[in-house]
Amino acid sequence: MASETNRLHPLSGAMMALRRGFTGFSIPFFLTGVGSGILGIDADLTIDLLFVLSPLGFVVGVGYGLAYYYRFTYALTADTFDVTSGVLSRRAREIPYRRVQNVDVSQGIVQRLLGLAVVSIETAGGGSTEATLRFVGSDEADRIRSEIRRRTAAVDDASDATERSAATDSLSETADEDVVEPQRDNDAARGDRSTTLLFELEVGELLVYAATAFRWGAAVFPILLVTLFLDPDSGAGFLPDFVFETARSVGGPESIDGAPVDALLILAAVAALQWFVATYVASALYTIVNYYGFQLGRQGNDLLYERGLLQRYSGSIPTDKIQSVTITDNPLQRLVGYAGLWIETAGYGPESTGGNQSAVPMAAESRIYRFATALTGVDRPDFRGASPLARRRYLVRYSLLAVGVVALAFGASRVTGLERWYLAAVVVAAAPLAAHLKYVNIGYHVGDDHIVIRRGFWRRRTTVIPYYRVQTLSTRRSIFQRRLGLASLVVDTASSQTFTWSEPTIEDIDLETARTLHETCGERLQTALRERAGDDVGLSVEPGNRP
Amino acid sequence: MEALHPRIRLFWIAKGAIGAIALGVVLAAVDQWVTDVPTAAIAAVVLLGLGLGIAYAVQLYRVWQYEVQSDALYLERGVLTFVETSVPFVRVQHVDTQFGPIERALGLSSVVVYTAGSRNADVRIPGLTPDRARDLQDTLRKLAVESEADDGV
Repeated sequence: MASETNRLHPLSGAMMALRRGFTGFSIPFFLTGVGSGILGIDADLTIDLLFVLSPLGFVVGVGYGLAYYYRFTYALTADTFDVTSGVLSRRAREIPYRRVQNVDVSQGIVQRLLGLAVVSIETAGGGSTEATLRFVGSDEADRIRSEIRRRTAAVDDASDATERSAATDSLSETADEDVVEPQRDNDAARGDRSTTLLFELEVGELLVYAATAFRWGAAVFPILLVTLFLDPDSGAGFLPDFVFETARSVGGPESIDGAPVDALLILAAVAALQWFVATYVASALYTIVNYYGFQLGRQGNDLLYERGLLQRYSGSIPTDKIQSVTITDNPLQRLVGYAGLWIETAGYGPESTGGNQSAVPMAAESRIYRFATALTGVDRPDFRGASPLARRRYLVRYSLLAVGVVALAFGASRVTGLERWYLAAVVVAAAPLAAHLKYVNIGYHVGDDHIVIRRGFWRRRTTVIPYYRVQTLSTRRSIFQRRLGLASLVVDTASSQTFTWSEPTIEDIDLETARTLHETCGERLQTALRERAGDDVGLSVEPGNRP
Repeated sequence: MEALHPRIRLFWIAKGAIGAIALGVVLAAVDQWVTDVPTAAIAAVVLLGLGLGIAYAVQLYRVWQYEVQSDALYLERGVLTFVETSVPFVRVQHVDTQFGPIERALGLSSVVVYTAGSRNADVRIPGLTPDRARDLQDTLRKLAVESEADDGV
């Protein structure tokens, strides 16, 4: 099949040339700086040299940037997406459509004004994006995405034509009849470009999300603000003045030097509290800016998402590449009855959070579960918990930790003259509560087609794994677990979220249960594979099931 | 269930010995340049390290077992944390045989099975004779090809 060869947007050629030119221009400054500083080359000579070398560097840089632009081509062929790049060393990369996990498009503010976009194409291999088109026109970005989608479907059709009937049979067993509907629908929809809206984040939901999602990553934001905008001489070293002022009103010290330990503790507490509040605000703003206008739609076999206030993200996730689906919630969100839903693929996401994409950032819990059901066919799970012995185990673990904290406080009191170190014993009282909370949040559900694993208290994750996505199964027993006859079952999938989150693990169940479960999962994987008979249909969503 | 080749114990003991000796060298360096460490203490630490290494190697050999089952490769291993893993043949991406310098000196080889799962889930069977390793690699490759239906990714 004939295919046209494309270049990036001309503007990106100009930008690349300018950027490289600037780099080329500045390198001589750096080199002469090093030269005069270390080698002691005469200053007049360096200035003369700069007059020659910098413009030369600029010209070479521009030339390189332009050459890079002209040598960078991409093409959509019948079976592969081809990218050829490189000026001195050339690279030609062919990505088979079948292997494409997700296609993501992002636009920064400046890029939106200029009508440009960055397209990233992900496959399952490696830890980085396989092809990045840095700046194509936004129309072209949409075209590439829908073309890849269309051609992926065409490749699938060609190879699946013979197995189609078998697949439909297996699907009817997957769930009730309305899941068979999208399959027929899919065949028709493959040519169909219309998008069905599945979810739209309302303002209330966005605000709940912003108010309840706490991102520790935002903790750098207050530090950045303080270092950038405060006069370094105004505070006492690393702490700005206003922290001292606030702390003084509750008994903080005048300055760090020579202050009693108790006053220093108050100062530390005040600083930490202010830092926490600033982090919370920054995290909420981040959430609003990133998830404003979130929409999830379905186009044929793909899920399409769109979000972002300043920087706009959009992309497509083929439903047949979905590895697992995870529902996340934290104590605050549980309190107000909200949760989030994430989709995991084996690709690598644009935010380098692994291949997990928010499908529904935040919605009422019942709605989330309806959505998860529509997406996976899993019924509302009926959780079984960990062995009661596990609670004892956690109690011992947290008690030891608490004793360690008290011992530390005692040690500190010897060295620094800290009084009332025994107040640290409060944490011992928290140990039973912590053990109980960890214990009650562990749960698993063995469904007909999926295993559901729930764990964690602060960031509780409920992961739905279809048996046919299981990669390896491991039963693990530490020496402590062996004493109590307990085991943990690790269900590994190809989802790249396991790089950032921990692998889905059912913790501390009876050894017998773990062994049985291990076997069951292995058998159901084989059954599912036989039923699917090589047809990679995957999870289905259909408009009738709109939650 | 199949056990590993008994010589693998020597390999693990050698690895432990290298660690213990390295620790001894560090302590000797501390003794030389930082503060006095009694020679007896250094010797005791090294000997203790060696002893632990030997005990660990013997115990690890005792628990290490693997089996080529009807649809999966099954392994049992681990001294502190005992792990039973099954790797379904369909999930095998590729199979390597590898050996390092010590393994080569001992006439041993490892088979490494790669899956598309998370990175640390790649499965290594050490302590095989080169023939057995090649044999196992062939078997696994054939089984992986036979059972290939869909790569799950």
